[in-house]
Amino acid sequence: MTTSTTKLSDLLPEGKIRFSADRLGWREAVREVAAPLLDAGDITPDYVDAMIESIEAGGTYINLGFGIALAHARPERGAVRTAISMLRLTEPAPLLDQPEHAVDLYFCFAAADATAHTLAMASLARLLSDPGTREALRAARSAADVTQLIHEFEESK
Amino acid sequence: MKFLAMCSTGLGSSFMVRMNIEEVLAELGVGGVEVDHSDIGSASAASADVFFVARDLAETAEGLGDVVVLNSIIDREELREAVKDAAVRKGLL
Repeated sequence: MTTSTTKLSDLLPEGKIRFSADRLGWREAVREVAAPLLDAGDITPDYVDAMIESIEAGGTYINLGFGIALAHARPERGAVRTAISMLRLTEPAPLLDQPEHAVDLYFCFAAADATAHTLAMASLARLLSDPGTREALRAARSAADVTQLIHEFEESK
Repeated sequence: MKFLAMCSTGLGSSFMVRMNIEEVLAELGVGGVEVDHSDIGSASAASADVFFVARDLAETAEGLGDVVVLNSIIDREELREAVKDAAVRKGLL
């Protein structure tokens, strides 16, 4: 175990949440959402390439629905630390340019090992599967809004 | 009885679906169901009684048997109905 925290508020701090009004293609969106993790050393550049390759290979399964995508790759492709980042776009950047995969809320997910992966994924799944929190997340207009609602969700559990 | 959530890698989305299936089964009060997740490549018809996949893997999953296709893997309402239907089909409800 290289990490023990699985709290979303620790994994997805305010500094790793970004908003953009730029019109981005999906590749740019993946690079943009990954940037805070790359800057922090949580992932290597190879991890970003692996995520893009995976989508290029038809990996639209990262589209979770509700305009939300969870970009990720296998831990051995360059996940250094377990971490999550988020990018909210004003204009959707559809995966593989397919309208049915319109995504305007990108998450980047990296897990250092299988156990951390499972626990962190569970935390994120709980948050995103909760209809009220999901709507609040989509309505959030700042990184501070997002961290606030994550804290509220964790305290309500 | 086994329900199996599958995705391409067996890492991310299948685990989310598995967790949500477990929660829905608990809410419905259905016991005796083993829930697991895996990558679709390593699943065969013998792997489970009911298979859950996201829309993009619907074709790949054809032939496995009782396959449930989900439009969104984080839509708890859709999943609740799907799990309920599966439980009824299998005589659990």
